[in-house]
Amino acid sequence: MRGLKSRLSGVLIPILIAITILLAMTCVAAQAQTSPESASSACAGCHRAKATSQPQTPMGRALLLLPGPDAALKANPKLTFHKGDYTYSVETRGDNSTYSVTDGKGTISSPIHWSFGNGAQTWVFEREGKWYEGLVSYYPNIQGLDITIGDAALTPHTLEEAFGRELLHSEPKDCFGCHATNAAQNGKLNLDSMQPGVRCEHCHVGSNTHLLDSLQGQFDSAPPKLGKMTTEDISSFCGQCHRSWEAVMRGHTRGIINVRFQPYRLANSKCFDGADPRISCLACHDPHQDVVREDSSYDGKCLACHGSSPGPASASGAAGAKSCPVSKKDCVSCHMPKMTLPGGHMRFTDHEIRVVKAGDPYPD
Amino acid sequence: MWLVVFLLLLLLVLSAGAQANPAGFDDLVLQADAAREQNDVARAIELYRQAVALKPEWPDGWWFLGLLQYGTDSYTEARDALTRYIALTPNAGPAFALRGLCEFETGDFAASLNDIERGLSLGAANQPRNEKILRYHEALLLTRNGNFEIALQKFAFFAGGKVPNPEFLIAIGLAGLRTPLLPKELRADKQDLYMAVGSAAFRFLSGDEKTAGQEFQDVFQRYPTAANAHYLYGYLLFPRDADAGIAEFKRELEKSPASAPTHAMLAWGELIQNNAAEALPYAEKAVAEDPALPSGQLVLGRALLETGDVKGGIEHLEKELQLEPNNLEAHLALVKAYSKSGRKEDARRERLLCLEITRGEDAPVARP
Repeated sequence: MRGLKSRLSGVLIPILIAITILLAMTCVAAQAQTSPESASSACAGCHRAKATSQPQTPMGRALLLLPGPDAALKANPKLTFHKGDYTYSVETRGDNSTYSVTDGKGTISSPIHWSFGNGAQTWVFEREGKWYEGLVSYYPNIQGLDITIGDAALTPHTLEEAFGRELLHSEPKDCFGCHATNAAQNGKLNLDSMQPGVRCEHCHVGSNTHLLDSLQGQFDSAPPKLGKMTTEDISSFCGQCHRSWEAVMRGHTRGIINVRFQPYRLANSKCFDGADPRISCLACHDPHQDVVREDSSYDGKCLACHGSSPGPASASGAAGAKSCPVSKKDCVSCHMPKMTLPGGHMRFTDHEIRVVKAGDPYPD
Repeated sequence: MWLVVFLLLLLLVLSAGAQANPAGFDDLVLQADAAREQNDVARAIELYRQAVALKPEWPDGWWFLGLLQYGTDSYTEARDALTRYIALTPNAGPAFALRGLCEFETGDFAASLNDIERGLSLGAANQPRNEKILRYHEALLLTRNGNFEIALQKFAFFAGGKVPNPEFLIAIGLAGLRTPLLPKELRADKQDLYMAVGSAAFRFLSGDEKTAGQEFQDVFQRYPTAANAHYLYGYLLFPRDADAGIAEFKRELEKSPASAPTHAMLAWGELIQNNAAEALPYAEKAVAEDPALPSGQLVLGRALLETGDVKGGIEHLEKELQLEPNNLEAHLALVKAYSKSGRKEDARRERLLCLEITRGEDAPVARP
């Protein structure tokens, strides 16, 4: 009997393991075929740490779908703001929030379905076949509303203009394209396939195919490793959403408002070298993790070039970098100052690395 | 002691002032100004001529002389007077602009375009009427010079206003159909086609895309062999609806398989969708058909760069900049090319150039 049991165990256990693996694979494959969100968890099968931490980052939470649990709006169920002849309000009841603007004679209201941003929130609306960006946004630092960043120069002349800035041409696709995953199909906005936030597939194009192929033991279709790109290409890649150098040039976005566009600012730095991996976005930031806020944590990155001994030559053969005569600690606190965006109620680290002199104008 | 020095200096200044006004000069000026104010143009010209002969360093005399001579269609003389004025007043935008208009009339089109653009950059378009005249002539000259896309951008300045006269529509048609002529140089039997195309393009530029679409369809039916008609419609559609624009470019290729600008636009369409490999054959064809086409060099440079041939890309982008030194897209691509290839200083120089080119053109709205 024991011999039979032993033989059965010898056969059954591998079968049970095989069934378990098969079920897991089927489950993973089904997830991969359904949505990028579930694909993220499917990716965790092999890439557990990254696939688990990334959805919790600001990029992973770049878009919130409503009705749903929006802690900021729930904590501030009645928000109001006045500009000129117009009064704005955002009212929240349960999971539903409504954005309204009135001039005292008429009112335009719209339920909030898409909340962009993981701290400050800007709302995008579809109304009568047109897309709008709300002219006011929510800012956590004031726990209230103010003019949407970039829209301060707009002076609405009608209630419709006061409601929001109309998004023209490819703008709606661009908004969802950066704050969500799979929002575009064949170059057009497609909200049916869209998943909120930046998921694996957003950056690692082809990861769904890779996932399915890997279940068959095929790994040839693995997406290219983004970290292998040149610093210039990484800057352009991240700049697709964070605004690349050329995008800022094409958009003529000058002045302190461009402090938000880190790839542009970094590329303006004298030390930027598109062939030197020590100055790439990924040299300092892991997009699968939250941004590290402690200044000191970046010292090692700076000292990789600006060490105490004559700095090593850059990858492109330039002479070594100077070392700082003032300090070897908290480099970014001086050389990458935090800037307050006028009206933005937020501070941004200026990524244009430089020797900052008191009274110097903002180098735009 | 200091008082003596001061008095001596004062005497020196006064004597210099006396030298600046030779005998009879002041009277001539008074008479010339009076004649000008009384609209006695011939006499005013003669008096200003005598005044500047007496005192050639008097800028106002040359200015009024040039202005009055332009008004009497004496374009060569006006040009020469304005040249003397510009030598004395180098940053006078209106003088450059007026000299450009003289050169337009004398047929010196390259100098005319140069002067009008210089005048505009120095603030010559200070009144709406002046601005319209200058921008219209600038667009005409750009068309005649073969800078058709830039000419269309200039014509867009007039969009939204009342439907212009036939000559204006023909001018837009010439830019649209890539014909390097002035309206007056166009054969009479071609005028209907160019006017119809100009009208459709003007409506599109004015935002009435529906009527423009109908007018373009009418053009396609009435003039099925007209070269560049589908290209123009595609070019106008492309920024708003890339697919529709590309469809028109492909229709153009059916009629004109060797069209270099059409191949260049198809390459551009692929490039902006990050399909550099697909862009490459179109770009190569564009350059093979017309190596002097700046947009062809640009798309080939970018396609090579983005498919990994950085050196080849740089070669074509540098060629493009020889043809169009201020083309922002070419400079932007060169930034990337130099940067990727480790030419840090060259990349930085190009970045600074881009910053300079775009300075003063701030966007009214910065998107989040």
